[in-house]
Amino acid sequence: MATIMIKGHQHEYSDSDVITFAEGLIGLPRIRRAVVLSMNEFEPFCWLAPLDETETRFVVVDPKLIFDNYQPKFHSSASMDVQTYAIVTIASDWKQTTINLRAPILINPEDRTGSQQILTETQYHFAERLPQD
Amino acid sequence: MLVLSRRPGQKIVIGNEITIEVVSVSGEGVRLGISAPDTVSVHRFEVFEEIQAANKLAEINEAAIDATSLKDLSEHFKDRQK
Repeated sequence: MATIMIKGHQHEYSDSDVITFAEGLIGLPRIRRAVVLSMNEFEPFCWLAPLDETETRFVVVDPKLIFDNYQPKFHSSASMDVQTYAIVTIASDWKQTTINLRAPILINPEDRTGSQQILTETQYHFAERLPQD
Repeated sequence: MLVLSRRPGQKIVIGNEITIEVVSVSGEGVRLGISAPDTVSVHRFEVFEEIQAANKLAEINEAAIDATSLKDLSEHFKDRQK
């Protein structure tokens, strides 16, 4: 078991938790290995924590938990049971927080490979506001 | 950068599977037809740049995480879930 520090808490993870991004994230090619960790107090939001840097973190969430009808079409390489996360940009006022629905992170649960795919469907935006109601 | 001259109807090939055809040229505009496998994503570069910028904006430093804001957010969406 290795550990990673997030917000003052040590989190344990095993080798099988590690996601490999062959091409990194878009514009961030250095991010090749990461883990997704959830903390009770922040659910349904999770952390995407790159393993090769100690300081960079992303907040991610399964977009279907927030947008019930989010059903994008992925490229054919993505299997049906692929795990989907959307990257969230946190603002100091949570109402200003945005979510990137246009370029979700897809994780293949079988081999733990991940990729960030830009959807061709233009109705999904890269800085969508969260529902306020 | 490789620079090639092509006329309408002519193509270039990238690797073994990607072809780009100049469909038509009118004034300042060029229409391109791209054939690529499903696994290759093709986008206007502007879209790619937007996503790049969005990713960089979303990247947060461990030390700068605003836990209060994230907790507010979490509380709001926990209620919505069931």
